[in-house]
Amino acid sequence: MAVGLTHYLVVAAILLVLGVFGIFLNRKNVIVILMSVELILLSVNLNLVAFSAALGDLAGQVFALFVLTVAAAEAAIGLAIVVVYFRNRSTIQVEDVTLMRG
Amino acid sequence: MNWQLAWPEIALAVCGMAILIFGVLWKGRSNAFACSMLTAGAFLLAALLVLSQGGGLGYNGLFVVDPFSSYLKLLILAGAALSLILSVDWNEREGFQRFEFPVLMLFSVTGMMVMASASNLMTLYMGLELQSLALYVLAAFNRDDARSSEAGLKYFVLSALASGLLLYGISLCYGFSGTMNFADLAKAAANPAGVSPGLIVGIVFVLVGLAFKISAVPFHMWTPDVYEGAPTPVTLFFATSPKVAAMGLLLRVMVGPFGHLLPQLQSLIVLISIASMVLGALAAIGQTNIKRLMAYSSIGHMGYALIGLAAGTTEGIRGVLIYLVIYVFMTVATFAGIGAMRRNGRTIEKISDLAGLGRNDPMLALILVICMFSLAGIPLLSGFFAKLYIFLAAVQVGMWTLAVIGVLTSVIGAFYYIRVIKVMYFDQPEAPFDRRPASLSFVAVAAGLFTTFFFVFPAPIIGAAQVAAKALLG
Amino acid sequence: MIASIAFYVFAAILLVSAAMVVTARNPVHSVLFLILSFFNAAALFLLAGAEFLAMILVIVYVGAVAVLFLFVVMMLDVNFAELRGGFQRYLPVGATVGAVLFVELALVLGGWQIAPDAGQLRFAPQPPDVHNTAALGRLIYTDYVLLFQIAGLVLMVAMIGAIVLTLRERKTSRHQSIAAQVGRDVRDTLELVNMPLGVGVSEFYRPLVEQPPPLHSDQPVIAHAGGGHGDGGHHAAEKR
Repeated sequence: MAVGLTHYLVVAAILLVLGVFGIFLNRKNVIVILMSVELILLSVNLNLVAFSAALGDLAGQVFALFVLTVAAAEAAIGLAIVVVYFRNRSTIQVEDVTLMRG
Repeated sequence: MNWQLAWPEIALAVCGMAILIFGVLWKGRSNAFACSMLTAGAFLLAALLVLSQGGGLGYNGLFVVDPFSSYLKLLILAGAALSLILSVDWNEREGFQRFEFPVLMLFSVTGMMVMASASNLMTLYMGLELQSLALYVLAAFNRDDARSSEAGLKYFVLSALASGLLLYGISLCYGFSGTMNFADLAKAAANPAGVSPGLIVGIVFVLVGLAFKISAVPFHMWTPDVYEGAPTPVTLFFATSPKVAAMGLLLRVMVGPFGHLLPQLQSLIVLISIASMVLGALAAIGQTNIKRLMAYSSIGHMGYALIGLAAGTTEGIRGVLIYLVIYVFMTVATFAGIGAMRRNGRTIEKISDLAGLGRNDPMLALILVICMFSLAGIPLLSGFFAKLYIFLAAVQVGMWTLAVIGVLTSVIGAFYYIRVIKVMYFDQPEAPFDRRPASLSFVAVAAGLFTTFFFVFPAPIIGAAQVAAKALLG
Repeated sequence: MIASIAFYVFAAILLVSAAMVVTARNPVHSVLFLILSFFNAAALFLLAGAEFLAMILVIVYVGAVAVLFLFVVMMLDVNFAELRGGFQRYLPVGATVGAVLFVELALVLGGWQIAPDAGQLRFAPQPPDVHNTAALGRLIYTDYVLLFQIAGLVLMVAMIGAIVLTLRERKTSRHQSIAAQVGRDVRDTLELVNMPLGVGVSEFYRPLVEQPPPLHSDQPVIAHAGGGHGDGGHHAAEKR
């Protein structure tokens, strides 16, 4: 069976689902949440590249390039915030919020 | 290529880099102050450039300048400038005056201005991310404070998820219509054969992402925590400029490229709007922290503004635009009051701490009273007119239920705003606050005067909003 | 045929390793599986004809982002076993959400059809006879130059943010003083001495750099001990 666009889209959809699933599953571990976000962005890139190939249009690839850039920047900022949070609280759990509720 | 269209953004970005270099090289004692003043100057310059601009489509259709975008940009710049003035003194008192603060604010504003001018899904995303990345850092800026870093972390995680979903929606829109350009998307959506379920799902994902940014229910979870944890000037900034930019983007996307699908999406927007108004009114009642109260208040206000989008007419869009201006100035005045809440050099945020303000500081108390009445929508103050225009637009298209729910939630909301006033004037007085700095008084008085006397000179703003709404609807 | 097999292999490994990222017990394993999934995604990009993106994915993601993750995981002294407390509790909810989302997407993607006039809407058609990298390069510096500049600003904001949040100047830490190192003169540290026959080294010894009094001044000193190698920079730093 020849590989077509649908195959790519299904792989990307599963990847997106895994990313969302990972965020729900690892609610306490922020680092894995960040990795799940990276998976979501990877699925978007897969979508864009597949559509770009199917449509014969490079705009999708150009956008994927920018998404990669932004994702790298996002990872850097996210990890910096995690480090700051860890210095203050000595844990990276987000769920046990006692300081703020309401 | 008409690259001059992006003059304000280019000027702002160049000024940002210059200020950054200046801040690094000039190690004077007050370099944070100097950089803040330079940033305020850059905002002014950008505003003048926005005012002096013509219109048009540039950068290969990626970027559009029209009265709608200029209107939003001026409002964004005003909100950011007022937050900046408030932040200078606050940061100094809290001991984290650093020159990076205004620079990050400036780049965030650049992102918002790009959002306001987006005419392509790619531009939309890049502007949004430039804005968000700077906001993540600003939320966690007080890095030695556990609450600030927690606010940054929460905002980051939820916002990154929302951005991911938005992006997935963009990729679906691209794949199913073959373009990311707003004008071409509108053409594709106008053709019934072109509207596949994939495009609809993509649009819904985009809607979710933008609803998160304006913190509409059910994507509001981050708002109270982030508002409470972030430093007060940052909270003010969060409550004003990004909301304006995201709401403007929502208007542009829903009316422009997806305008033909608006009737189908209308029920969704109505639901979000009702849920936001109801939650904003009910959840705020039990709050003891005034910043959390303002968070729920802002959720409610975004719900009211969405009524105008649900109506989808020129009057509705105009109503949203007027609402945004009034909302920004009410919020600025209120947060100036919150910024003054400081006793013995320590920040306090409890509503009960306001007790006795009516006696200790009648001036500030008066401004807060005006803000609370205006937020509640008491007639003759600006908040009343904001709601009036929105409700009129809803009634004109026969959305009576929406208007009635709006009025009912306003009445419920008035309860907790008036409770704040009661605490200030009738509760057992506490010790007075520390002396408020001149910059804070300036911001409070300026925004308070606008809120009070809007009814005297509404014509220029209504006129500008009318032109902007017409430009958007074409 | 070979392309199909390759696709299925890479896609399967990609999905399995992505599943491992979110379920692995040890975050270090998560990062390693993340790297594996990036590699396989890069292979899928290659199969779709996006060569440049595939290379960038490997270089930027595996080379920088994944290493950054690994670095942070190692740096933070976290008891990761404790963080998995709610794992079992969240599993049913998470699985339900995931399943619902996937079924919805599958329904949508099954009916994929391009809008009928997509041919005219094409924004940047792939030019024939041009390499993928060159074609992308032509686009991002011309039609998309605005986005390219904004991407630059995004990276700069990320840099400022990471520095603002995590850089701490401790009083006790010792910094490299680059100016002192670069400004060092050869004569401060090295002296060429012509040695006549039959003469001891000690007679020619002249210290050029002030240094603490030698412990054993009566011992013969070797010629190049005059300042010690590369001391300039460190001395300057200690003095501050």
